[in-house]
Amino acid sequence: MIAQRAATTTLRRVAGKPNVFFTANVARLATQPLSTTQTRPVATQPHLTPADANAILAKQRLNRPVSPHLAVYDKQQTWFGGSIWMRITGSLFSGSLYVFATAYLAAPLLGWHLESASLAAAFGALPVALKGGIKFLAAWPFAFHAINGVRHLLFDMAKGFQRQTIVKSGWYIWGASIVGGLYLAFLL
Amino acid sequence: MASIARSSLLRQVAAVKPNPQQTLITNAARTTAFHTTSRRCLLPPLPQHVQGTVNDAAPVPEPSPSHGSYHWTFDRLVAGSLIPLTVAPFAAGSLNPTLDAILCATILIHSHTGFQNVIIDYLPQKRTPRARKFFMWGLNAATAVVGLALYEFETTDVGITETIKRIWAA
Amino acid sequence: MATLRSSASALVGAVSRPALRATTAKTLPSLAVRGMAQVTDAQQTNQTASGDKANLKTFQIYRWNPDTPTEKPKMQSYTLDLNKTGPMVLDALIRIKNELDPTLTFRRSCREGICGSCAMNINGTNTLACLCRIPPENSADMKIYPLPHTYVVKDLVPDLTQFYKQYKSIKPYLQRDTPAEDGKEYRQSKADRKKLDGLYECILCACCSTSCPSYWWNSEEYLGPAILLQSYRWLVDSRDEKTAQRKDALNNSMSLYRCHTILNCTRTCPKGLNPGLAIAEIKKSMAF
Repeated sequence: MIAQRAATTTLRRVAGKPNVFFTANVARLATQPLSTTQTRPVATQPHLTPADANAILAKQRLNRPVSPHLAVYDKQQTWFGGSIWMRITGSLFSGSLYVFATAYLAAPLLGWHLESASLAAAFGALPVALKGGIKFLAAWPFAFHAINGVRHLLFDMAKGFQRQTIVKSGWYIWGASIVGGLYLAFLL
Repeated sequence: MASIARSSLLRQVAAVKPNPQQTLITNAARTTAFHTTSRRCLLPPLPQHVQGTVNDAAPVPEPSPSHGSYHWTFDRLVAGSLIPLTVAPFAAGSLNPTLDAILCATILIHSHTGFQNVIIDYLPQKRTPRARKFFMWGLNAATAVVGLALYEFETTDVGITETIKRIWAA
Repeated sequence: MATLRSSASALVGAVSRPALRATTAKTLPSLAVRGMAQVTDAQQTNQTASGDKANLKTFQIYRWNPDTPTEKPKMQSYTLDLNKTGPMVLDALIRIKNELDPTLTFRRSCREGICGSCAMNINGTNTLACLCRIPPENSADMKIYPLPHTYVVKDLVPDLTQFYKQYKSIKPYLQRDTPAEDGKEYRQSKADRKKLDGLYECILCACCSTSCPSYWWNSEEYLGPAILLQSYRWLVDSRDEKTAQRKDALNNSMSLYRCHTILNCTRTCPKGLNPGLAIAEIKKSMAF
C-alpha cells in the first residue's frame, strides 16, 4: 500500500509538468459535469512492477530523518525517570568498584598504598566538610539504587503498576533517597 | 465532525470575503530553524532500511532461555539477595568472612550483568558489531581481573564491609 | 419561569408601555444581526490586536518534506483563534490544514480515539491528537512532533512499517488444533474472558512503543510495549493452544527482555491501558 503510494507520488514527480494533468482534468470535468468524486489522473500511469515500486520506496526511505526523541520527550519521564538514574548510580558504583579493584591489584607493582588502613587514614585526614560531602556523594547514589531497586523488584512481581502509583512513587524515591543519603552520610 | 463542518463553513466564508483575521494569521505563520536534532548525537541511527516487503513478518529469533528467561530470573534472584546481604553485616555489626565473600561475589555478578545490559542496549549488534564484541570481551576480562582483585582484598585485607565501616568512621 | 416573565411584562407594560416599545424597537434590529455584529467585533479587535476576544494560540509543528530531502526538518508556527477552533488538538490541525496551510500533512481518521491514526507527540508526551484537549488557560505555545525516534515520511506522518512487521511476527490470531467441543464455538468462562479486559482495547497507535527509550535504541529487535501487550493478549487467552510456542518466541535477550520497566508506556497510553503491567506479567509467567 505504502509502496504503491510512494511509487505513484514519485512517478508524478518524475513525470514533471503538472499542467499536463491539469488540462487532462479540465477536459474530464468538461465531459462529466457536476461530478463530486475526485479524479486521480496518476492512476492512469503505466503499471509499475512490484520490484520497481519497492526500489523507489527503498530509495526514498534512505532520505527520511529520524524524529526527535530525547530532546523533546517529557523531561520528567526521561531525564528524571527512576530507571535511567538506576543505571547511572549502578554504573557509578560498579565502575568505581572495577577501577578500585584493578588499582588494588596493580598497587604493589606501582608502589601505591590502597590497603584499608591507609585509605581510612587518608580519608580521616580530610577536612570535615569535605568528608561529609564525599560521604553524601557516595551515600545518595547508594540509597537511590537500593530504594529504587526494591521498587523495581516489586515491579517485577507485577505490583505497583497503577498509573498514579507509578508517578507518585517516581517522586517518592527522590525524596526518600535524599533523606536516606543524608542520614547515612551525617548520622551514621 | 462538528469541528470539520465548522471549519469548512469558515473556509467558505473566507472565500467569499477576504477576512482580515486570516491575513493576520497567515502573516503570523512563520518558520523557525529546527535545532533539536543534535549534532553531538552519539550513534545516530542508520538510514532506514526495511528487510523484505511490508507484508513480511519481522524475523523471530531462536529461543535461548540462557539469554532470556533464565538470565532474567537469575538477575532478579541476585538483586533480591543483595538486600539482606547489604543490610546484615551493618545491622548485626559482626564480621563474617564467608558472608563478606558472598557479598563480594554477588556484587560482582550484579555489576557484570548490569554492564552487559548497558552494552546490549547502547551498542546494538547490527549497528556496531565490532564495538559490541570489543566491549563484551573487555567486560569479561575486567570482571575476571576484578574477581581476582577482590579475592586478594578479601584474603589479605580486612574485607569490604569492614573497610567501608572504617572509612565511614574515619 | 414563564409565569414570572409574563407577570413581569404585564407589570412593566402597565406602567409604561410606550417606553418599552421604544427600547424593543431599538434593540431588536441589533439582535437580528447579532452573528454579523460579532464577526465585525472580532475583526476589529483583531485589527487593533488589543482585544481579549480573540483567544490566540500558537502551534509549533514539525515539518519535513520528502520532495526536498536535503532541507533539514524545521518547526513552523501557526496561530489560531481558539474561539473558532474545536477543543481538541486534532481540530486545530484540521483547521490549520483547511485554512492556513494545505501542505501540512498528518494522519487522522475517526476523530474519536478508536483508529489510532493521529498518534503524535504533543507537548512532550505521545498521545492521540483527537483525545488531547488544547489547554485553554495556558497561553504557552503547543509543540507538536511526530512520534519520537521514528523515520518520518512527511511532517507528522511516521513510518510504522517495522511496528506492523513486528506485530505480524507475534501471530496475532487464535491458534488452535483441537476443534470446539460442541462443534460451534470456542467457549470461555467469565473469569477467563475477564483476563482479556485491558488488553483487547489496544488500538495499536504506537504511542507507547515510541515513548520507550529501549525501543528507541533497539527497535530492530526489541518488540516494544504495544506488541508485547498484544502478545500477552494471546498468551492469556484460554482458547489459544500455542502458549508454549508463543513464549519460546519471546525467550531471548532482545524480544522481551530489553524492557527495563521504565514505564513511559503506561504513563502515555491514550486509552488508559497498562502495557508495562502486561510485560511484567509475561516476564513473571516465564520466570520459572
